[in-house]
Amino acid sequence: MPKIITCFKWVVDEADIRVEPASHRLNLERVGYKISDYDRTALEAAAQLKEKYGGTVTALTIGGPSAKKSIKDALSRGADQACFVSDPGFEGLEPAQVAGLLGSVIASRLEYDLILCGDGSSDRYSQQVGPRLAEKLGIPVVTAVVGLELESDRIIAERKLETNLEVVAVKLPALLTVLPDLNTPRIPGLRDTLDAAKKPVVTIAAAELPPVAAALIETVALQGLVLERNCVQFGADANAIRQLVETLRKSGAVG
Amino acid sequence: MNFTLTEEQELIQANIREFAQKHLEPIAARLDEESRFPSEVIAQLAELGMMGMPYPREYGGGGTDFLTYTIVVEELCRACAATGFTVSCHTALASGPIFNYGNEAQKQKYLVPLCQGRQLGAFALTEPGAGTDVGAASTTAVRDGEDYVLNGTKTFISNGPNADTYVIFAKTDPSKGLKGMSAFIVSRDNPGLSVGEHFAKMGIRASQTSEIVLKDCRVPGADLLGREGDGFRIAMQTLNDGRIGVAAQAVGITQAALDESIRYSSSRIQFNKPLAVNQAIQWMIADMATELAAARFLTYHAAFLKDQGAAYTREASMAKLFAAEVANRHASKAVQIHGGYGYIKGQKVERLMRDAKITEIYEGTSEAQRMVIAGSLLR
Repeated sequence: MPKIITCFKWVVDEADIRVEPASHRLNLERVGYKISDYDRTALEAAAQLKEKYGGTVTALTIGGPSAKKSIKDALSRGADQACFVSDPGFEGLEPAQVAGLLGSVIASRLEYDLILCGDGSSDRYSQQVGPRLAEKLGIPVVTAVVGLELESDRIIAERKLETNLEVVAVKLPALLTVLPDLNTPRIPGLRDTLDAAKKPVVTIAAAELPPVAAALIETVALQGLVLERNCVQFGADANAIRQLVETLRKSGAVG
Repeated sequence: MNFTLTEEQELIQANIREFAQKHLEPIAARLDEESRFPSEVIAQLAELGMMGMPYPREYGGGGTDFLTYTIVVEELCRACAATGFTVSCHTALASGPIFNYGNEAQKQKYLVPLCQGRQLGAFALTEPGAGTDVGAASTTAVRDGEDYVLNGTKTFISNGPNADTYVIFAKTDPSKGLKGMSAFIVSRDNPGLSVGEHFAKMGIRASQTSEIVLKDCRVPGADLLGREGDGFRIAMQTLNDGRIGVAAQAVGITQAALDESIRYSSSRIQFNKPLAVNQAIQWMIADMATELAAARFLTYHAAFLKDQGAAYTREASMAKLFAAEVANRHASKAVQIHGGYGYIKGQKVERLMRDAKITEIYEGTSEAQRMVIAGSLLR
């Protein structure tokens, strides 16, 4: 009967982002938000483990007040309770800070056998929070998980590496980061969504936790990548090739 | 005035949108081409609890408000108007009268399986000689001991061929005209009920439409809905709710038309530029989005008034009237934006234009809606 914590992030729905044509700045005026895709996989994995083995699932997230909407979403996906660490200052934290906060919350308040995270978030995809959190808690981490089985006090996990699948066994407590190949998250039914409001939610304020470590990364700019095509055609004779090379040099594509 | 959806409504909307994109959108064109009932999707929607949303949980329903259900119909129709309409017809036109006018025994026997999606419902009012002129109906229900014997033909019945449970309107007292009409619950396995001609339609082809023939159809007195003579009132009240669903259907179709128009005009290159740089196209899209927003707000407002327990007959008619005309106008514009490609089978906008037309006709034609609206203002 495992106690599972699933960490998830409330992110901008990238499909809604518009890029300003001239400045390439991101226009986030009308974006919707969602639970990060791989975190949904993690929540589904937790729900499936609970269905098979019993136990409990706690959904845990860190964010500004606007992330409150994520709580019912997570609770409708099989979690029994939610823990929301919230402060306006928690918008846009970097992975080390997030892992620090998650570590503080888990170590001081939550019991667990297994922690599940998405392998990376849909927005930054730094892939750091899972491993950093495991390090903070002093537990093993298995990343890139695409298959898992629970065997009494250990997990047998399949990892998707670049050219092969690796199978590892890890004793609990452990942290796993999952890839979307692991499962297809079910779409919550009506009852799951409506019953989410009845499940317990613990909200923790910044003041209740040790201060957040200083940021090490400064984001200088966040711009959209716009592919501009010049559509110039070159021939294949010697002169044309010289022109091509010259064009590539001028554009900085070659040294 | 609060124009925001609740968190639950937003989640349900997002979930149904995802469901429609993943499970309905990819098969909608084929369902249309084959005129095939979307049975697998209906089964999935039943699993998700979407076949009896606005009815209490004690009857197997979802216990939501009517607005939440309306939003679901819209999202389904955005992907496939025929499927969304199947849900709407089943939920409002079949389950509605049983919930609003049935006794406890009838609700337990008929409403519960309908809400759970284990059975499909249909509403049989229209006849070959009685469309807008409901009073011209000639299907009779003659008392015989404890039972009624029904004779007559109903036509253009949505879900006709597939339904398990029908709400059928017949005259128990033809001499009283509209006041002589009564409503009955009839099961598909009644030997006196048979499915007549199947109709091949211009649009919403995956929605199955047929005649229902009643020949010495014996219905137990226990299956009379309300009292003798309540039929017309039950029909009109039920159509009020059905209208909000049709308005939502039209809104979904228009949203799909807008989606397709934006996508196509942004990528189709003529004269070395996307169509979208042309003001003519931009104005078509601006008008489409504006009228869509208006149609959506009228529709949501009608649902909201119903949820508040306020009068909503006029607003439901306005929503259906306006949204239907908007859908037709802009589905046609969407085809225009697509040019020749918009005319080809398999393009979504070709189907949208054919699907849109029925929204101006069924559950009360646009002309009938104008009568209802004027009547509510001028009486």
